[in-house]
Amino acid sequence: MEGGGSSSSWVPESRTLEEEQENADKAAREMRLHFKITRFIMEAGVKLGMQSVPIATACMVYHKFFRDTSLDAYDPYLVAMSAIYLAGKVEEQHLRTRDIINVSHRYLHPGSETLELDSHFWELRDSIVQCELLMLRLLNFQVSFQHPHKYLLHYLLSLKHWMNRHSWERTPVAAAAWALLRDSYHGTLCLQYKVQHVAIAVLYLALQCYGVEVPAHAAGERPWWQVFSEDLTEQIILDIVSKLIQLYSLDTEIS
Amino acid sequence: MDWDLLRQCLAAHGPSLFSLLRCEQYENLQFRGLLGDVAKGQQYRKEKRVDNVEVQQFIARKADLLFSVSWKPNTAVVSEAREETEDLYAIMPPLEQFMEVPIRDKRELFFRDLERGDVVIGRIGSIREFGFFIVLVCLGSGTIRDVAPLEITALCPLRDVPSHGSHGDPLSYYQIGDLIQAAVKDIDRYHEKITVSLHSAALPSHLSSLKLGVISSEDLPVHYKQSVALASSNSQIYEKTLEQSLGFANPATVEFLLEKLGISESDPPSLMRGLQRTHFSDEDYASTLRKKQSASWALKCVKSGVDHFKMGRHVEAMNEYNKALEIDAKNVEALVARGALYATNGSLSKAIDDFEVALENCPTHRNARKYLCQTLVVRGGQLEEEDKLLNAESYYKKALTVDETFQEAEDALVKLRQHIQKSLEKREKQAERQAEKEDKQKQKKVETSAEKLRKLLKEEKRLRKKRRRSTSSSSASSESSSNLSPSSSSSTSSSSSSSSSSSSSGHKKCKKKRRKHSESSTHSMKHSSKVSSHQKDYSSNDGWYPPPADTSASFLNQKQEMEKLLERQDRLVCEKAAVEEKVRNRFSSSVEILETTRGRSEDSKGSCTNSKTWASGSRSASDARTERHVASRRDSTDSFHTKSGEKHIRVDKELEGRKLHPASDSSHERNIPFSAENCKRDQYTESFASSRKKCQPGRSEFIQNEYPRKDYRDSEGRFGEDLEDQKPHNLKSYGETSVKKNLPQNLLNIFSQIAEFEKEKGNKQKNK
Repeated sequence: MEGGGSSSSWVPESRTLEEEQENADKAAREMRLHFKITRFIMEAGVKLGMQSVPIATACMVYHKFFRDTSLDAYDPYLVAMSAIYLAGKVEEQHLRTRDIINVSHRYLHPGSETLELDSHFWELRDSIVQCELLMLRLLNFQVSFQHPHKYLLHYLLSLKHWMNRHSWERTPVAAAAWALLRDSYHGTLCLQYKVQHVAIAVLYLALQCYGVEVPAHAAGERPWWQVFSEDLTEQIILDIVSKLIQLYSLDTEIS
Repeated sequence: MDWDLLRQCLAAHGPSLFSLLRCEQYENLQFRGLLGDVAKGQQYRKEKRVDNVEVQQFIARKADLLFSVSWKPNTAVVSEAREETEDLYAIMPPLEQFMEVPIRDKRELFFRDLERGDVVIGRIGSIREFGFFIVLVCLGSGTIRDVAPLEITALCPLRDVPSHGSHGDPLSYYQIGDLIQAAVKDIDRYHEKITVSLHSAALPSHLSSLKLGVISSEDLPVHYKQSVALASSNSQIYEKTLEQSLGFANPATVEFLLEKLGISESDPPSLMRGLQRTHFSDEDYASTLRKKQSASWALKCVKSGVDHFKMGRHVEAMNEYNKALEIDAKNVEALVARGALYATNGSLSKAIDDFEVALENCPTHRNARKYLCQTLVVRGGQLEEEDKLLNAESYYKKALTVDETFQEAEDALVKLRQHIQKSLEKREKQAERQAEKEDKQKQKKVETSAEKLRKLLKEEKRLRKKRRRSTSSSSASSESSSNLSPSSSSSTSSSSSSSSSSSSSGHKKCKKKRRKHSESSTHSMKHSSKVSSHQKDYSSNDGWYPPPADTSASFLNQKQEMEKLLERQDRLVCEKAAVEEKVRNRFSSSVEILETTRGRSEDSKGSCTNSKTWASGSRSASDARTERHVASRRDSTDSFHTKSGEKHIRVDKELEGRKLHPASDSSHERNIPFSAENCKRDQYTESFASSRKKCQPGRSEFIQNEYPRKDYRDSEGRFGEDLEDQKPHNLKSYGETSVKKNLPQNLLNIFSQIAEFEKEKGNKQKNK
């Protein structure tokens, strides 16, 4: 339960068994909700034509925001919409609020007519912009993040050269790793672990998925993941992989 | 499903994954059916690590996504030109260098993975007579490997060294220690022997531009330089090297590498069931939604624009339309509405543009089609008026291509083609008349005041002699006009007058033709009915007009024939002239009158008597015409003359009456299409600016119609300048001169009444 990690502010200091149980329930509930909202961010992101990194930033902004605040105080969907808007600015893939509102409205009211550009629309727009300002302040204007994406791609490239080119071409390791990395933003993995570690973990899982082994893995002085990140242990990788797989179980739970 | 991939996976994970797969993908019929086959020949790897059940479970659950064919990375070879610079992405030294893989393994893997066509770079170790050996330094294409420590030698045989010129040993160009870039030609994996070639034919197609042969150390690939730098430094940390690299800091690196690795960002992969592309409807994408929203917003603007338009606020309406088009540049409704507004304001070309764009975007839009046709026809009409007949024709044709059932355009086109024909004829005739005129002018010089006096005398005699003379002169004139070589002065004058009258009538016909083709034919039909003896002439007269040509081009091609036709027509004109003269004589006046009329129009300062005779002549002539139109039978012109004053007014009134109730009467038929057209235009747009303009020619047309004599005079005097422009002026000048010349009081009254009537009518139309 990454939501219940020590970094979360709402975890109380003193706890009884009962309280702990209660907290766990709450955490599970919240995790599910956040999963749902981040799913919304990703889906909207795809429909808005956002690239992976801006979507990741939006999720990061969202997760960070709710790590520091309570769900009761703010509407998560509004926060998500503002996060998308803000991420577009941060990652220089500017999005129009109009598109964000349209897509979100359609997501929340499937099959509905497109919104008229009336006063209601402008109110929605204002609320997004207001919320964006609020989020900026809450995040201390630190909305620029390091993402595992860049690392992962370079790892993939290095690996590609070391592997037999035919087995590489046959195996969609790159796509799988990319998919895993994108999906990992449903949770707060990227807030809990070093970005390099997350990148290596998704690569590790992707290789496992296709039963691919890095050549001369055993023969080398150093395992391949340690080359990419000095301070990484296999245990960390397995932790991350495990948490990632747990996230996928939520996928079926929600739908 | 990619079964090879699945087998590979199963081989790695062992039978536990197989059972999990069976369990998790039970519902997937594709899996169930084929897992059995897979199981049969499946071999599992001997050395097994501890099974990671969680991972296996995951694989089993996501197997349908993981092994779906659609996930295959696109293997399209991105031309790996070595121009890829460091700042696009971090070019890292080979991975095995960091992993510190033993040389034995590296060597094994190198020989396993090296392929024909790969580019290798090496240093010449020794040169023999059969070729030279290079010690490989690094790889130039394909994979990046840490080759240098392996100290692999490759042979470049003599036949694979291109000869530089015809003389000498090709090997003499190479020295030990030279850096050579070569393509792998052959690999003996078992004996670990490599043969390379310097011929570019050995290169794969996507690298064919690569230069083989000696290279300088600057040309060495980046990864080799990095590798060397890394080997010399103490800290061999991948992370550090990566983060220090310039390319890693490049924000565009993600995009670049995604393309390089074949990952799609527009259709990003996901292992989440809910994020599969198939779950998303195209309707929900931002661009689609925006388009829809913009369309409805634009429509709103159009609506308010239309409201403004209805209230007569054209500027506001235009602003709204423009706003709508700014929002949605392809909005059909906005385009149509703006087009209509343009048309209303008289900017027909802009209107046509808008309608055309609208139709392009929505070919089924009925209003757009309708308006476009109407506007095209109106524009064509304008052009016709400006005498740009071919342009007008193209507009009509365009209208017909837009809507082939558009009657108005078809009518206009037919009319126009006849008009074109007529104008050609007219031009021909004008040229002839010019020639004639010159002839006449020569004769005219002989005409002195004495002659005029003689004419006056003749005029006095006119009433007495008329009947007898009319027959004789007509026959004389027909003769003289046919050979155009007059012997006596009287016959000269008569011939010239008759020819001029005939040309004038021809001219008249042209003018009428422009408005209404049927007019002239009915007119001539009238003649023929009047003069039954010359019916044959008239029927052939009708035959002058060849049937309308299909296109202007073909029409022009027929010009040669036309000229022939016109020649024939000239003869007919002569004959007809005689006939007409006869008619005229019978009704009112002698040839002399006509002649003097012409004379006066030529030398503008006519004498009092001259003008008098002209007045009576013109009056009687117009009376004659009027009478023809009214079709009342009158046997003697004498009796008609006596009560001409009253008669004229009555006729006028009658004409007015007809104007108000357009009947099939020939003289006023031409006004009908006009008013109809005006009506249509008005209906089309409330205040069509040009509709007022349009009325003007209509009025002058009427004038022309009523005073054919004057027309004739004018055309005679001006050699067929545009009559329309002259008409009102002509009327005025006529009024003035009539006052000056002290015409009989009753005639003066008549003319002033006519003038007043004209003015009134003009005002009425203007007011309308």
